Amino acid sequence: MIDARNVVKTFHGRGQVVRAVDDVTTAVTKGEVVVIIGPSGSGKSTFLRCLNGLETFDSGHIVIDGMDLAAKKTDINLVRREVGMVFQQFNLFPHKTVLENITLAQQVVRGRKPAEAEETARKLLKKVGIAEKEAEYPARLSGGQQQRVAIARALAMNPKVMLFDEPTSALDPEMVGEVLDVMKQLAREGMTMVVVTHEMGFAREVADRVLFMDAGKLVEEGIPSEIFSNPKEERTKIFLNQVL
Amino acid sequence: MRKDIILNTGNTQIYSKLLLAAILILATAGMWGATARVDYTWRWERVPQYFLYKGEEAHKAAQDAKVARIQPQGKSTAVTLDYDDGTQEQFVVDTDALKVTQGETLFGGDTVGFTSSWHVGPLIKGLWVTFWLSGLSGILGLALGLVTGLCRISKNYTLRGLASLYVELIRGTPLLVQIFIFYFFIGTVLNLDRMVAGVGALGIFAGAYIAEIIRAGIQSIPRGQMEAARSLGMTVPQAMRHIILPQAFKRTLPPLAGQFISLIKDSSLVSVIAITDLTKSGREVITSSFATFEVWFTVAALYLIVTSLLSQVVFWMERRLSVSD
Repeated sequence: MIDARNVVKTFHGRGQVVRAVDDVTTAVTKGEVVVIIGPSGSGKSTFLRCLNGLETFDSGHIVIDGMDLAAKKTDINLVRREVGMVFQQFNLFPHKTVLENITLAQQVVRGRKPAEAEETARKLLKKVGIAEKEAEYPARLSGGQQQRVAIARALAMNPKVMLFDEPTSALDPEMVGEVLDVMKQLAREGMTMVVVTHEMGFAREVADRVLFMDAGKLVEEGIPSEIFSNPKEERTKIFLNQVL
Repeated sequence: MRKDIILNTGNTQIYSKLLLAAILILATAGMWGATARVDYTWRWERVPQYFLYKGEEAHKAAQDAKVARIQPQGKSTAVTLDYDDGTQEQFVVDTDALKVTQGETLFGGDTVGFTSSWHVGPLIKGLWVTFWLSGLSGILGLALGLVTGLCRISKNYTLRGLASLYVELIRGTPLLVQIFIFYFFIGTVLNLDRMVAGVGALGIFAGAYIAEIIRAGIQSIPRGQMEAARSLGMTVPQAMRHIILPQAFKRTLPPLAGQFISLIKDSSLVSVIAITDLTKSGREVITSSFATFEVWFTVAALYLIVTSLLSQVVFWMERRLSVSD
C-alpha cells in the first residue's frame, strides 16, 4: 500500500542544513497498523507529512497505491483523496458546521450529491459517537469531540490509508481515551493506518509494527512486543526508558 | 464591598456623561459665537429647495389656433385647440393655471396653461452620482484587490512583482494626482468618458489598499486550514474558495468597511474633473443660493448619512458571520 524508499527531506535555515528525514525506507501493507515513535524533532511528523505530499522530499521514492509521489506526472490531489490525514490541531473548518465539515470535500472533490454526502456524514458521526452535534460549529465542541469530527471528515473520503499526526497530543488527558477508542475501532475494521504518537499504550495494544525514529533516521522497527520489551538499539532503549 | 464598586462605577458614569454633555454644549456655543462674530445670516430655509422643488411647465400652442373646447376635470383641465391647418391638439393643464377661454384665438407660441410637478434638486442628483460612483468603483476595487491580494502571496515571481509594483505605485502617489493623470493622460489616449475615468481612478486607488487588506486576511488564517483542505484532496483554488477566503473575508470585514467608507469620501475628489457628484453639486448650489455655510454643512451631513448606513450594514454582516465563533 505504501512503499517508501530512501526518502530524504532537508530543511535549510539560518545557514544550517537539517536532515529532517534521513534515508528512510519502509513499507506498509494493506490493513497494517504502523505506529511511529521517537523523541521530538526526530522527523516522524515530517515523514508522515511526506506520505501525502504536504511536505515535498529531496530524494527517494514514496509509492502509494501504485502512484509515485516523486514522479512529476503524478497528480497529488488524486493521491490525497486516497490518503486521509488527522492533525494534532484538528484543523476543522471553523466557519462550517460539523456536518458541513464532513460533507464539503465529498461534494467538491468526490462530486457527491448533497443528500448522499450528508448520509455518509451522519453515518460516520454516529460511528465516532457524536451524531447529536451535527449542527454545531467546531468552536462549541471539546477537543476530543473536534478530533473525532476530524477523523470522520477524513473517513468520509473513503481513504485507503489513514495518517494520524499526534492525534491526541493537543487533548486534555480525559479526552485522549475517546479518540484512541475510535482509532482502535478503525484498526479492528482493517483500515491501513500510520500513526505518529506518544501514546505507548496504544502502540503496544494496536500496532502491528512499531518504527522508532531519531534524528531523521529510522533506527529500529519491529513488532511492539519486541521493541518495547527487547529493543536492540541503544537509542531506542534510552528513549523508552524516558517515556515508559 | 461589591456594592461599593457598583455604586462607584455608577457615579463615574454619571460624571462622564455630564462632562461629555458639557463639552458638546461648549463646542456648540463656541461655533455659535464664532458665526455671530462674522455677522453671518443663516438662511437654512433656502436649502430644502435644492433637494426637491416644484417646477412649472408651460404648454404652448404650436401654431395659430382657436380654442375649441375646455373641459374641467377637477384639478386639471383638458383644452382642445383647432389649428388653422385643420388638425387638433389636446392639452391637459392645471385648472388654476389655465390661461385661455372658450373660443379665444391664439397665435403660435401662446401659452395655453401650466402644469406643475415635483423635481429632484441638484443635491439629490449629486448624492445619487456619489452613490453609484462609489458603488461601481468599490466593486472594481474589490475585484482588483482580490486578484492583486492573491498575486501578492502567489509563488510566481512575475505575478508577485507586478502586484507589489501596483500597490506601491498607487499607495505612494496622491489620489488627486492619479485622478488628473487618469483623466488627462489615460482618458485622452484611450478616449475615455469622464465618468469612466473617475470610476477607474477611484477603483484602482481602492484596489491597492484592498489588496493589502485581503493579503493580510489570507495570511492570518492558520496554515493548518490549507493543509487540512489539501489533505482532503482539494486543489488550491478549491481550498481558497471554500475554506480560506470565507474565513479571511470575515476577518477583513472591519478594515474593508473602513476602506469603503474612505472610498465614498474620496469620491468627492472627482469633482475636479467636472463630474457633478455631491461635492460639486454643493459648490454649484452655493453659487445660486449664497448659503455657503448651510450648504457645506448639508453636504457633510449627506456624506455622513451614506457612510453611517454602510457602517450599519457591515455591523449587521459581522453579527451574522459571528454565529460560528
